[in-house]
Amino acid sequence: MSQIEIDPGSFRDPAGQIFSYNNKILRILENEGKSRFDFLKKNNLLENCISKDFLIQSNELTDNNLILDKFKNKTILEHKKLDYISYPYEWSFEQLKNAAIHHLDFHIYLLSNNATLLDASAFNIQYSGYKPIFIDILSIKQYEDGEYWKAHKQFCENFLNPLILKSKKGLDFNNWFKGNLEGITTKDLNAILNFKDKFSYNIFTQVVLLDYLEQKAQKNKSINIRKIKKKKFPKRSFVAMLNNLKKLIMSLELKKSKTTWDDYSKNNTYKTEEENLKKNIVKEFSNKYKFKILADLGCNDGVYSEICLNNGSEYVVGFDYDLNAVNNAFKSAKQKKLNFLPLYFDASNPSSNLGWAQNERKGFMERVNFSGMLSLAFEHHLSIAKNIPLDQVIEWHIRIAPRGLIEFVPKNDETIKKMLTLKGDIFKDYNEQNFRNLILKNAKINSEKIVSNSGRKIFEYSKN
Amino acid sequence: MKKYFLQTVIVIFFILSGTANAYLDPGTGSIILQAILGFIAASIATASFYWNKVKLFFIKLFKKDKKSESN
Repeated sequence: MSQIEIDPGSFRDPAGQIFSYNNKILRILENEGKSRFDFLKKNNLLENCISKDFLIQSNELTDNNLILDKFKNKTILEHKKLDYISYPYEWSFEQLKNAAIHHLDFHIYLLSNNATLLDASAFNIQYSGYKPIFIDILSIKQYEDGEYWKAHKQFCENFLNPLILKSKKGLDFNNWFKGNLEGITTKDLNAILNFKDKFSYNIFTQVVLLDYLEQKAQKNKSINIRKIKKKKFPKRSFVAMLNNLKKLIMSLELKKSKTTWDDYSKNNTYKTEEENLKKNIVKEFSNKYKFKILADLGCNDGVYSEICLNNGSEYVVGFDYDLNAVNNAFKSAKQKKLNFLPLYFDASNPSSNLGWAQNERKGFMERVNFSGMLSLAFEHHLSIAKNIPLDQVIEWHIRIAPRGLIEFVPKNDETIKKMLTLKGDIFKDYNEQNFRNLILKNAKINSEKIVSNSGRKIFEYSKN
Repeated sequence: MKKYFLQTVIVIFFILSGTANAYLDPGTGSIILQAILGFIAASIATASFYWNKVKLFFIKLFKKDKKSESN
């Protein structure tokens, strides 16, 4: 019998926890959750939110007998299971921007239907390919006349501030966000922005003024917020504020600094012939196994991911260290409507288990659910550039998926020659023979194909 | 308009006064900001309403002058 597993990340709202059972994502509603859900069902609001692609597909389970007895009399919802769970600190600028706009559009739609959102956590948005989707159904509640936007501060910290930081200062929010799961505080952002950055009505009010008021409120313990809240905040002001934030976010553009991998697939050292050879190997591999979900390590702008998607694979998650490349890959996936989710990823320091009890947000290895893997021109960035022992690099790769392609880059290849000029050759075990033996320790080799004159080789492995 | 003016005066009073009971939640600054923005939005709406009235008055006046000229 399948186990019921409570999702350790869904403890914050006691109105309804998430658990998985039989490979399904379910939510048990307590009384408060049930009343919020009943409100959603009224006037077809739930149906409309789903059909407009704002909210994740959610159905009420009619037959609860399959679940344990203790849940028999509870209302249980089933949510559509997403292919891969990602977190805001793994998104590029455009992905966070799209998620923010999705959040605001959804909120504006809800307000026009007499509903509102209880919180504004970026973790409540997930990506299904290039499409953002709101996943927390219990964040929706009935709007009460004159109520304030309680989650405004959270929206700023989770969405607005990281976007302003990147747009105005060119600073990546990802590792900062990973270090503080609440996002980037207004106080920190205000300290970084200069006079010119603040010279706009929206940034002045949403950052400078907000920071001033927050500081003032912290120092002045005598402020009675209950009395302030008694004064109504008109709905049209609420909507105007959301629209203004949307306008501000839409106007934010990526402050671009050119990075190493920015236009790698256009300007790399490969010859076209070699590149075509590689593309054909990937094409064959994808056609042969038609992967349900594939990981593309070092995906860059997603050229090989796209080949897989056009050749039988259903969903690809790309991983890359370069945020500009991830940003370009996302824009391309959106434009071409691909089932492709590129994410920021430092393989030598991947996302780990974070949050409460180190269990709230899962690490990279804990989320691994791939049926296939591509690792093209990638392993030497770990074994040579980061000095990670080759046996560990290979063992790590093979843990990611039961079958995959790994490209070996030999020492006489231009890329490695450059790396070794500065480092010196301290990698005595780095050679093709050793590489092959190490794969064979963990899996079997189905094929080996040379893809360059320098001797680059693609190994296809499978665990069984 | 009068209502919002009163609201803002009350809000500012609470920011600056030190007499009320101590109670603070993490979003205090955000709530005060919303009250202020709500007031600004309402003021702009009201100002534009009166500005339109003034404009209309002059337009009408101008038209009347034209009519009397042609007569």
